[in-house]
Amino acid sequence: MSGRPAAFATVFRREVVTVARTPAYALLVVGLLVAVGGLVAVGGGGATGFVPAVVDLLLATEVLVPLAAVVLGYRALRSDRASGELAVIRTFGVGAVTYVTGVLAARLLALIVVVGLPYVLVGGYIWVTASPDTGIYATHTGVDSPLLFVRFLTFAVLLGAAYLAVAAGLSALAGSRRSAVALGGLVLAGGVLGGDLAVLRSLSTGTPAAALPDLLALSPNGAFRGLVFDHVIGVAFEGDGPTVNAGRALLALFGWTVAGAVIAVVALGPGRFVTVAFERMRRRVGA
Amino acid sequence: MKPTVLRARARRLLPAAAILLALVVAVVVAGAFLVDPADSAPDPVAYEDTIELGMSSETDELMRGETAVPRAQVFFSSFQYVVGYNGIAPLVDAFDDDRSEVAFGYPIAVHVETFDGAEPGVTDDGLFAAEGTPAWTPAEEAVYVVGSEAGTPAGETAVPFAEEEAAEAFTAEHGGEVVPWLTLREREFDVDTAATVRSMAPDRWEEADDRVADARERADRPVSVVVGEDVDTIGEAVEEAPANTTVVVPEGTYEETIEINRSVTVAGENTTIQGDDEGSVITVRAPDVALSGLSVAGVGNQTRDEEAVQEPPDDGDEGEAAWDTNVQLGYGHGDAGVRALSVPGLVVEDVHIETDASGVILREGSDATLIDLSVQGPDHWQDGFMGVVAMESRATVDGGEFDGGRDGVYAHRADGSVIRNATFEGTRYGVHLMYSGDALIADNVVRNAEYGGITVMTRPEGNAIVGNDVRDSPAGIQASGTRTYLGYNTLVNNRLGFSTSSRGSLYEHNVVVGNEQGARATTVIPSSVVTANDFLDNDRHAGAGAGPLRIWADGEVGNYWEGADAPLHSADRGYEATSPVDAAFHREPAASTIAESPAARLLDQLRGTNPGARTGGVYDPTPAVEPFDPDRVAAVSEDPEGPAHADWRDRIGANAEPIDAGNASIEPDGGVIG
Repeated sequence: MSGRPAAFATVFRREVVTVARTPAYALLVVGLLVAVGGLVAVGGGGATGFVPAVVDLLLATEVLVPLAAVVLGYRALRSDRASGELAVIRTFGVGAVTYVTGVLAARLLALIVVVGLPYVLVGGYIWVTASPDTGIYATHTGVDSPLLFVRFLTFAVLLGAAYLAVAAGLSALAGSRRSAVALGGLVLAGGVLGGDLAVLRSLSTGTPAAALPDLLALSPNGAFRGLVFDHVIGVAFEGDGPTVNAGRALLALFGWTVAGAVIAVVALGPGRFVTVAFERMRRRVGA
Repeated sequence: MKPTVLRARARRLLPAAAILLALVVAVVVAGAFLVDPADSAPDPVAYEDTIELGMSSETDELMRGETAVPRAQVFFSSFQYVVGYNGIAPLVDAFDDDRSEVAFGYPIAVHVETFDGAEPGVTDDGLFAAEGTPAWTPAEEAVYVVGSEAGTPAGETAVPFAEEEAAEAFTAEHGGEVVPWLTLREREFDVDTAATVRSMAPDRWEEADDRVADARERADRPVSVVVGEDVDTIGEAVEEAPANTTVVVPEGTYEETIEINRSVTVAGENTTIQGDDEGSVITVRAPDVALSGLSVAGVGNQTRDEEAVQEPPDDGDEGEAAWDTNVQLGYGHGDAGVRALSVPGLVVEDVHIETDASGVILREGSDATLIDLSVQGPDHWQDGFMGVVAMESRATVDGGEFDGGRDGVYAHRADGSVIRNATFEGTRYGVHLMYSGDALIADNVVRNAEYGGITVMTRPEGNAIVGNDVRDSPAGIQASGTRTYLGYNTLVNNRLGFSTSSRGSLYEHNVVVGNEQGARATTVIPSSVVTANDFLDNDRHAGAGAGPLRIWADGEVGNYWEGADAPLHSADRGYEATSPVDAAFHREPAASTIAESPAARLLDQLRGTNPGARTGGVYDPTPAVEPFDPDRVAAVSEDPEGPAHADWRDRIGANAEPIDAGNASIEPDGGVIG
């Protein structure tokens, strides 16, 4: 193994180790587990099946998963640069693209674990315990199925991936830790509220309602919500049609993820030339 | 092996394990999207294990085994119990009804009983019958004979067959045509609903008026014998009097027991007939006998035939049927002030009976009209029996007072009975129906019942319980059955106001005030409409037994729940009567503070979207902001003793006013799930 794949693997492994050595992320898992488990316990939906549990979890997931993703991403690409390690890494011939994809892939894996673990635990609990209220009649599960929960979790991870990449991308632009936090907050607020606010605003300024399925698909949260409506909760109903343009929604979630990565590459790529030029200038001056 | 070797091996295995894990995750995720959860078609279950909707399976004809009703069972996408339909017409009707979709989702499997090898036929009465046992067949694979001469007690039916030939053979003999499932679903069946029962309630009241008028006319006969002048005893008088004449019994106390074998009127005035404390005092063995102006005392204290009650008859009946026979034999055979045996047309007016057993026993088709009857039973209900026992006899009870004893009026297989304007005090139950359908229980007053005001047991059809006022009792109204109309009742200071035990029923315009629990959802299957009721000042407005989340609203019309309109409480969402937070609104202002918390709001979202898959509770998506019956609500608070009756006959009669949403702020297209 040599060249780019090797470099990617090295960056990936190094980042995985970094994440694994950050105890705060373990706390994040515990926090999510408490929140998700608490909602299922208090909401009561999980007592009878996965679909009602998803109903109870949907809104919280729209906030919690982006939050976890931003926490994982807001300094992913900044800390190496700030500490100067990035410069060292580059001396081994690691390009910006390789470095960014390596880091993001590792962080994505972390996201899958951080988000997946609590949801899988809660899902497993529901699987084991969910049962009808009374056993005096014949019962069946209807369309309720753990597969629907897997779908839900998949959409949640896709949602998180979009936030992770964008947060990481913006973190590459951040000049200081403080500004990285601020940018992370901006991503969170802008994503969770901004997208839907923009849709609401455009509706009130005359955009026809028929445009909604496409418009909603643009923001990560709208895309996620629509996908969950159509492919998880709505499976139990003979619906009136799709609540979001599913293709666009998936494309948008992937698109935001790629966009975040591109921002990072651009921020770090030209940034390298700037640094090199700065070093040359310094040498010439003899400082 | 040294630890370093182990570590090295583990390091080599790690990537392989990671790849394997990734593969598993990928397969599960891909599978989750490729598999359609709706594709699983469950096999039919034993019909007894389904939750039954449709016509009652306890009609006389069905219980006698004379007729069969083709049945169906449906697995819904979003309802955990298997729903049984007694009759194909109710099944087709349910597919038409948006409400089933909201409550249960869509059907993922439908099985119908097919009668290919079951020797299907039609009785002389035009009822469908089958000697053999039908088989279960997926509905879309079966064919259906429609428009044949075969019917059910509820009307027209389709008869399903698995094979076309069998269906053709049936039509050759009994007419009709063979259609596939999709064509059947397009067909309109006349299915009676609880709304039909509502519309018929005023008619039943008028019919009772007619019965009373007819009874008075029957009783109005020329005088032939006067006791004390022509003969010495009432017994002699009724022996002597020709049919269709009146025996006049002047004021006084007559110590005798009487048997009436001719259609005469016995008219007293402040007349007391004192029995010998053994057996019944007046036994009627002729049709159209009338008794008026009498006081009856000295009734024996045998409340029923104990042997018959305890010993199951040895006629092969099992379970419920045997018990039913027991009750009929036992309950109809005690002592009474007045007994009528297999004789229709009895008229009792202005008669007072003091008894430690029953007041009036009607047996075997002794349809009777009882006007202003008063029965005084013992203080402890265990010491006495029923005010009126109507056993296979249609009773029309108009007015009257029932004080103490077991049940004021006990009607058993007494279809079409009317009990109205009567007062019950301190009885076990006020009115108690068993296997009795199409009855009207209206404008009665019950106080201090030992068990409950009005109770309907077993699964009769089409009862209307309207305008009654029940207070200070363990339960107001508990009616099981199907297609019951329970409206315009006033239920105050009871432990439980009413239960929604009857399926496919309509519960509306009840004023439920100051009870420990206002109403209770008891059926596992949500198939009834609960709307436009007013709940005030109850410890808990509503409770729920086992079963899914029940939606209590009819379209945009919910119920009035005191507290649901609490200030600082968002009006945009529903009222979950069984949630501890919502239930506290009318007693604890701080409940709003927690209700508006992000945590509570998070859980409120989409709550009513899949009620069938959710457990427990009562949810009203459109609670009203003001009572639907403010006059009665005000009357209750002004006069806690009552009674407060509604002008229900005007409101649900021919010129019925449309139901008022009681909430001006609700837009008609509020997108409400009801």
